[in-house]
Amino acid sequence: MASATKADATLAGVVSVEAVAALSAAARESEALRARRLEAVRLLEGMTLPHRARHLWRYTDPARFLPSADLTAPAPTEVTSQWRRDDEVVGVALVAGGVVQRVELAEEAREKGVTLANLHASPAEALAHLGTAVPADHGFIETLNTAAWRGGLLLHVPAGVRLDRPLRLRFAAPPAGSLALPRVLVLAGRHASCEVIEGHGGGGAGAQVLGVTEVLLEEGAEVRYSLVQKWEPGVLGHLTAYAHLGPRSRFTMATAVFGGALAKTDVGATLAGEGAESEIYGVTFGGETQHFDHHTEHRHLAGRTRSNLDTRVVVTDAAHSAYTGLIRIAPEAAGCEAYQENRNLLLSPHARAESIPELEISNEDVRCTHGATVAPLDPEQLFYLGSRGLPRNQAHRLIVFGFLGQTLARLPEATRERLEAMVAARLHGD
Amino acid sequence: MSTQAALAGINADYAERYGFRDPEEYFLKAPKGLNHEVVEMISRLKQEPEWMRAFRHRALDIFYAKPMPQWGNTEMLSRIDFDDIHYYLRSTEKSGRTWEEVPENIKRTFDRLGIPEAERKFLAGVTAQYESEVVYHSVREELTAQGVIFTDMDSGLREHEELVRQYFATVIPPDDNKFAALNSAVWSGGSFIYVPPGVEVAIPLQAYFRINAENMGQFERTLIIADRGAKVHYIEGCTAPVYSTNSLHSAVVELVALPGARLRYTTIQNWANNIYNLVTKRAVAYEDAQVEWVDGNIGSKLTMKYPAILLKGERAHGEVLSIAFAGPGQHQDAGAKAIHLAPHTTSKITSKSISKDGGRASYRGLVKVRRGAHGCKTTVECDALLIGAGARSDTYPTMEIAEDDVRIEHEARVSKLGDEQMFYLMQRGLTEDQARLMIVNGFIEPFVKELPMEYAVELNRLIELEMEGSVG
Repeated sequence: MASATKADATLAGVVSVEAVAALSAAARESEALRARRLEAVRLLEGMTLPHRARHLWRYTDPARFLPSADLTAPAPTEVTSQWRRDDEVVGVALVAGGVVQRVELAEEAREKGVTLANLHASPAEALAHLGTAVPADHGFIETLNTAAWRGGLLLHVPAGVRLDRPLRLRFAAPPAGSLALPRVLVLAGRHASCEVIEGHGGGGAGAQVLGVTEVLLEEGAEVRYSLVQKWEPGVLGHLTAYAHLGPRSRFTMATAVFGGALAKTDVGATLAGEGAESEIYGVTFGGETQHFDHHTEHRHLAGRTRSNLDTRVVVTDAAHSAYTGLIRIAPEAAGCEAYQENRNLLLSPHARAESIPELEISNEDVRCTHGATVAPLDPEQLFYLGSRGLPRNQAHRLIVFGFLGQTLARLPEATRERLEAMVAARLHGD
Repeated sequence: MSTQAALAGINADYAERYGFRDPEEYFLKAPKGLNHEVVEMISRLKQEPEWMRAFRHRALDIFYAKPMPQWGNTEMLSRIDFDDIHYYLRSTEKSGRTWEEVPENIKRTFDRLGIPEAERKFLAGVTAQYESEVVYHSVREELTAQGVIFTDMDSGLREHEELVRQYFATVIPPDDNKFAALNSAVWSGGSFIYVPPGVEVAIPLQAYFRINAENMGQFERTLIIADRGAKVHYIEGCTAPVYSTNSLHSAVVELVALPGARLRYTTIQNWANNIYNLVTKRAVAYEDAQVEWVDGNIGSKLTMKYPAILLKGERAHGEVLSIAFAGPGQHQDAGAKAIHLAPHTTSKITSKSISKDGGRASYRGLVKVRRGAHGCKTTVECDALLIGAGARSDTYPTMEIAEDDVRIEHEARVSKLGDEQMFYLMQRGLTEDQARLMIVNGFIEPFVKELPMEYAVELNRLIELEMEGSVG
């Protein structure tokens, strides 16, 4: 990994202007969207890989996310088998091989003016919102994605529309040796309400996924968003998902990260309107030699905003988890409340966990706390359960479910059940 | 009383009080700037052994090679002009400043703290003083009888070369960081303490370090060794403001607690608000040893200081207790590090900070547990209080855990002065200022009660002063 340590390796040439222009033309994109992509290509020319001294990249080598395949080469597709009927949702979309394979939206949603569509061909007024929650210069991965994303989805829930069943957005990771750059834009109008499950699965060894999701909430909107990652072993992926909150809007995010060889997420919310509220709950369960790196961020830009964050990590075998979290309160954001918690459970002597929960507070009228813990299974709890006649592996399972339970409870029921089954399977051999 | 008369009186007073006698007269001030010539001159003037001379030169090369820190307040750090600093100064020369030139607010602070007349002039840099060397030491006779060595670092090197050589730079090597390298190249003064096995030093050992020449850096070097089962408490610094027009203070402090030893190091720094205080402090604790850092940061423009404890032997225990007060224009970037290298080691970090009226206080810390260091426990608690507009508080803790049988806890809270508390106190007849002060005093109380009495009294007065006229 010689290139890995070259911190100031320039990113110029990772993707060319011609290739991006060709990609955009092939997708018959608007002039405005093409210009946005080319701007990102130019931005890359002046960028270098982030310095490892910056804590965001302290535990994960950014070079591992440098594209190993041509960003703009057509990706192989092997999809249809993954399609599955889904009656509990109001809409469903499948993206694979860099192409939106299928989109279905129930009649009731279409009637209300809801759009679930291919982002490449979206109307200019929707595309104008790209980059609001995740600007092109957020980081080099987001710049790469902005320049060369393929297989994007737009969900637009117009003002006043409330959907009572969730929408499912499914992304299949590419086969070995190829690369996916998915992009999601969710627009929730004034007082609109919806629930979205973004699921990532599949993938071959060494496949790379660099995804960006943006969720925009107008005044009073309510969005519940679940990000579920169940890649096959061997996938290297980085998922960025940020929400931008208008006045009195409410955002709830639940992330569940299970798969991949190397999985980094960057999840957060910008509380830009007065009285906005954001909650982020995360669970991560890893084993073998999996490497997880999670960053969360709550940025309070407006007064009387509230945020709550709780991430729970269980690692066993020789798995490694790093967590960095930031709460930032702007000088003009008075009367905010912000809470942040990160708990790590180590199930094996070779598991490792890092935690850096950070606060940057620039307004005195604030209430802010954070906490972090790293601990093994509590021997007292094990003893108690053992004394009640529970075998050791069942006791383990009970404690782990107890540890994750509060966060799993935030997920939609069907998703939660599937994840619980995954955790149980992982713990089975214990 | 003329300045001249005051000057004569003060010198006599110090000689009497601290038993300081200077056998030689130097009139030396190294030219501004840093190069191998300056390093050579410092080493030669001190008539140091060859190994120390070589050490200094090597350290200077490391200083040149290391980049400035890419983290922390890089904007403030970038304003340090290394070419505009005197790297060595040792003389009885007059500073050329008169009492009239000392700013009013500094004089008022002296008044309020009840600093004796003689010390005021010394602190304000009016009187002739010894610069980069430790000015006063009082090694009491019984200490000498116990075999305790308590001297300045330069004398320590001359008189106990083997002991110094055995431990010097073993805890903080020059390539640790850029400022440790700088100190290693140009160090002067500081304390050297050795406490023999089983000896308990009953009184806290104290030394005062001062900066009082224009644009002069102070690079003291302290090394404290508590041998097996020994016990010692060392106090450095003082609560009175130390005035100078612009300066860099970059010390290195190394503590070695051999098996079973107990070592406590207390500092309260109150450098003037134009001083960069960039200090490296680290301790090693062997089996069953205990090390405590009690660390107060009130003054300076920018302080970057993270007292560290390497818990190297089984059952070693480390504690860091710190407060930081950041007023307008100040950035207190302080913290603590606990590195657990051996099983059953424990540590506790308690940090309290107050940011007021545009001041910024940051906690930056590290808790690390190496694989195999099972049964470790550590608790980190950060409390921050924000007062007034523009105040900022940051918390940057890092926890790196490579062992499952451990218990790591971190908690931080940031809040403003509670309206309810204020209301309660005011309806009991306290004025707004009194109520605010009472809450702040309550907030830092866990720190103050760890200080010797005279320091606690001075610190309380100082906080009162800093809180004056604050607009909640």
